[in-house]
Amino acid sequence: MEDSVLQPVLLSSENVTQRFSMPNGNMVTILDNITMEIRKGEIICLIGPSGCGKSTLLRILAGLMRPTSGKVFARGKEVAGLTPGVGMVFQMFALFPWMTVSENIQSVLVPLQLPREEVHHRVSTVIKMVGLEGFEEAYPREISGGMKQRVGIARGLAVQPELLFMDEPFSAVDALTAESLRTDLVDIWDEADGEPASIIMVSHDIKEVVYMADRIVVFSANPGRIRTIVQNKLTRPRDYRAPEFLAMVDYIHDIITTNELPDTPPAAVTTPSLPVYEPLPPVSSSDVVSFVEYLSSHGGQGDVFVLAHEFGKEFSDLINIVKAAEMLDFIDTPKQRTVLTPLGHRFASMDTEDQKVVWKQQILTLGIFKTIHADVHASRNGTILDDEVQDRLAQLLPNENPAFTFATLINWARFGNLLAFDEDSDEVSLQ
Amino acid sequence: MQEPLENQFIKTNPRGNRLLHTRPVSPVTWGQSGAIMAFYHSGALADIVIILGILGIFYGITQVGHEWTGVLRPTVLIDLSFRALPRYTFFSLVRGLAAYCVSFLFTIVYGYWAAKDRLAERLLVPILDILQSIPVLGFMPGVVLALVSLFPGSNVGLELAAVLMIFTGQAWNMTFSFYNSLKSVPQDLQEAGTIYRFNWWQRLTQIEMPYSAVGLIWNSMMSMAGGWFFLMVTEAFQLGSRDFRLPGIGSYMSVAVEKGNVPAMLAAIVAMVLMIVALDQLLWRPMVVWAQKFRIEDTSDEETMDSWFLDLLHHSHILRWIGAASSFVGHAFGSLIWRPFQHIPRNMPGSSPVVSEPSKHGGPSRLSFPVVFSRVLFFLLAAGLAFALAQVVRLLLSVRTGEWLRLLRSDLLTLARVTAAIILGTLWALPVGLRIGLSPKLSRIMQPIVQVAASFPAPMLFPAVILLLALFRVNIGFGSVVLMLLGTQWYILFNVIAGAQAIPSDLKEAAASYRVTGRQRFWSLYLPAIFPYLVTGWVTATGGAWNASIVAEIVTFRGQTLRAQGIGSVISEAALGAKFAELAAAILIMSLTVVLINRFVWRRLYAVASTQYNLSK
Repeated sequence: MEDSVLQPVLLSSENVTQRFSMPNGNMVTILDNITMEIRKGEIICLIGPSGCGKSTLLRILAGLMRPTSGKVFARGKEVAGLTPGVGMVFQMFALFPWMTVSENIQSVLVPLQLPREEVHHRVSTVIKMVGLEGFEEAYPREISGGMKQRVGIARGLAVQPELLFMDEPFSAVDALTAESLRTDLVDIWDEADGEPASIIMVSHDIKEVVYMADRIVVFSANPGRIRTIVQNKLTRPRDYRAPEFLAMVDYIHDIITTNELPDTPPAAVTTPSLPVYEPLPPVSSSDVVSFVEYLSSHGGQGDVFVLAHEFGKEFSDLINIVKAAEMLDFIDTPKQRTVLTPLGHRFASMDTEDQKVVWKQQILTLGIFKTIHADVHASRNGTILDDEVQDRLAQLLPNENPAFTFATLINWARFGNLLAFDEDSDEVSLQ
Repeated sequence: MQEPLENQFIKTNPRGNRLLHTRPVSPVTWGQSGAIMAFYHSGALADIVIILGILGIFYGITQVGHEWTGVLRPTVLIDLSFRALPRYTFFSLVRGLAAYCVSFLFTIVYGYWAAKDRLAERLLVPILDILQSIPVLGFMPGVVLALVSLFPGSNVGLELAAVLMIFTGQAWNMTFSFYNSLKSVPQDLQEAGTIYRFNWWQRLTQIEMPYSAVGLIWNSMMSMAGGWFFLMVTEAFQLGSRDFRLPGIGSYMSVAVEKGNVPAMLAAIVAMVLMIVALDQLLWRPMVVWAQKFRIEDTSDEETMDSWFLDLLHHSHILRWIGAASSFVGHAFGSLIWRPFQHIPRNMPGSSPVVSEPSKHGGPSRLSFPVVFSRVLFFLLAAGLAFALAQVVRLLLSVRTGEWLRLLRSDLLTLARVTAAIILGTLWALPVGLRIGLSPKLSRIMQPIVQVAASFPAPMLFPAVILLLALFRVNIGFGSVVLMLLGTQWYILFNVIAGAQAIPSDLKEAAASYRVTGRQRFWSLYLPAIFPYLVTGWVTATGGAWNASIVAEIVTFRGQTLRAQGIGSVISEAALGAKFAELAAAILIMSLTVVLINRFVWRRLYAVASTQYNLSK
């Protein structure tokens, strides 16, 4: 769309913060002071690692959730309740299994109380738009995932919304179908006459985002904050292989790795004697070991995003593994690359028994393990209950869910023969 | 809908189309079966069946109306001839179905209220729990007297009492199922409904009820069965000097037992079985098959059932007109009541974070119509409960300590019997259920048989059992265990079969490939795998056993009364003798026992079952 004339703001958020209270009473901040706006005639994509609150923000903007603090404005007026003029497409399609395709679309037109002919007209129009002619009487269980999402999109378009919200709409379908859906969606949006005027989409696929968006909002997690907003001025139709496209993809990769795998460690260590408590990435020890061994047999280094593609994992999953391996000193992460350290090289070539010894030694360099190990050691009969451990973890890492941290802690400690955990008696003890 | 064979023939034979003016080969020439098929497919048969059905219903309504408005006779003379049996069966059927309609309405209203209103939920769910544990049969005489005095001139009071009693045997399960379904509607379906601004009616009819349909229908089947249990008792009993009797299959059986008329007893049993089978084939089976349209899982590898009756109905034209008409009425209704309920209630599941901070938008929603309405209802309910509670406490205070001790002793005796019944039941139901459940062929054959056996009201078989017990000179103190067992062993069997069917095949294959022996297989695979189902079976069976104790610990046979000491017989006698203080005390003790066992035994077992023995991870 033209940027010489600035389009009116359709929806904006001002200092939206979302906090969530956990079972142990701690408050976790999911979104921190989000201020952004969506203008008419653009596709805006929210991207970031998992847990950064982008789906939560989407729901707040749509009016499905109310933020802990902050306001949402639609065309300048504060929103109380549902945002007007909104259609939504869900990740798992959210179709009603007991209704046919056309009944699903009709159901969202009922609240609009339109005359019968108008309803039929709209239903047939949108079905044609998404290319599902002939499937009107099919039930969702009879059609494929891609077709189900087409129904979801048709349903969103049927209410003729000004804003179309999409929550990871193409992540539940295979790559080929996703590509064709993306192309079709951009075409529909191009041809649509202001209905929808703008699309706001959450995604975790960088190529998808560069293909579709006019503006890309990059989030960071813990707590969720907007890091950067990138303007994407590439002309449509966009080509996945064009050099400008790849440059933009690279640029975003860069932003993300600078956020997630910074070259300089965050939060300075104040005194060397005080342990630093870093959150544990939720990965299992076997994932980290496999990753280090993989790197070792593939040249000792690799590019994070290329590796994610090779493993078929989402980049945010791989980033957790990379973080874990980095915490344990097996790899370094200059920019987008991951490079095995000398320790990592040695680790990869050892047999399992020796690996466990080195693993134990490495995890004891982490503050969390040092403290918990000391706790168990100092306890009266050499055991502590899991609830006490979780309380401790909640103290040391207030922004993390202690149950998840506990699970990771036990997994790593078991691999290193450091701690034992008996689920029946809930006791954590020394090995 | 299946098209007539002729049309299908044309479609698959393109050349047939192009041969102008040539009639296609009629299937009728392929033999007589073709003609019948054509008749079947043309929908005429279905229409005939439906017309006959409607005529039958009209005739039935006039008969029932005649009966209900008939003058209250001092004692109804039950005709023990076989010819009278169909009429009596029909009356009982009507009562059961009427009770089901009441149960259904109750389920929808109560379940919806409890699921949507957080405040009311805290009161409503415990009440339901207690209602499930209270032996409501103990209240029957009081209810009957009240209703009869309300309608002095006719039978309506008595009929209503019977319907009400059957309702109490049906409603609680269904309500729990509906409530649980409402609370577990998938998040994204909820959000879709919210974002597209479904009002409460559209949400209920297009999201929540379809989602709950499968559970509701299965529970309805079980509830109908539960309702028949008390049929004999509710249709014929004595209160003081008055003999209350309603024409029906239950009272037919009662009189037959009293007179020792064995052929009549057998005829009644046969009639009951036929009624259950007919209901299953003509009502429940078609409903279950129809409800498969509402299942959420995409995978279609579950055995799809089919119902010949449903297929027949699909061909009917009349039903299609009825269907179109009712959806039109439904739309009109929905848009009519749109206006007063336009606001979306604030306390919507899944719409706001857990953080309880003061709402920024307190505004009009706080005082919207549905919220006010439910608050008023809630306070009325709480007030009514408080009043009733006060009355009961007054009654209880009049019971002497010596009395309480006697009641406690009786309660312990009944507890022993219930436990014995469960153990005995498990001893045979576990191996048999495993055998049936592990073999798909056996399951398919046995399932309908077991279903009918489970629906059959055990008290009807009591006379035969008592005869046997008398023959072997078994004391009623022990014999009542057998009677209790009769009614409740099916729950254990059912659940064991379901559990065995649900064992994942890869576990069975692993056991086979590692050549695990039979006994070891039982202890290390089968028993742990079906454990959660076994616990469910035990819970349902004990509930049934406690309820059954009321009719099992004191029985009349050939004019004699056999009495075993236990809380069940105390309740029964107190109810019939109108000794209300004793009745209240006994019911309280029994309910407390059930609730305590629930909390300390079943909850623990469920916790173990859902963590350690859960196969669904």
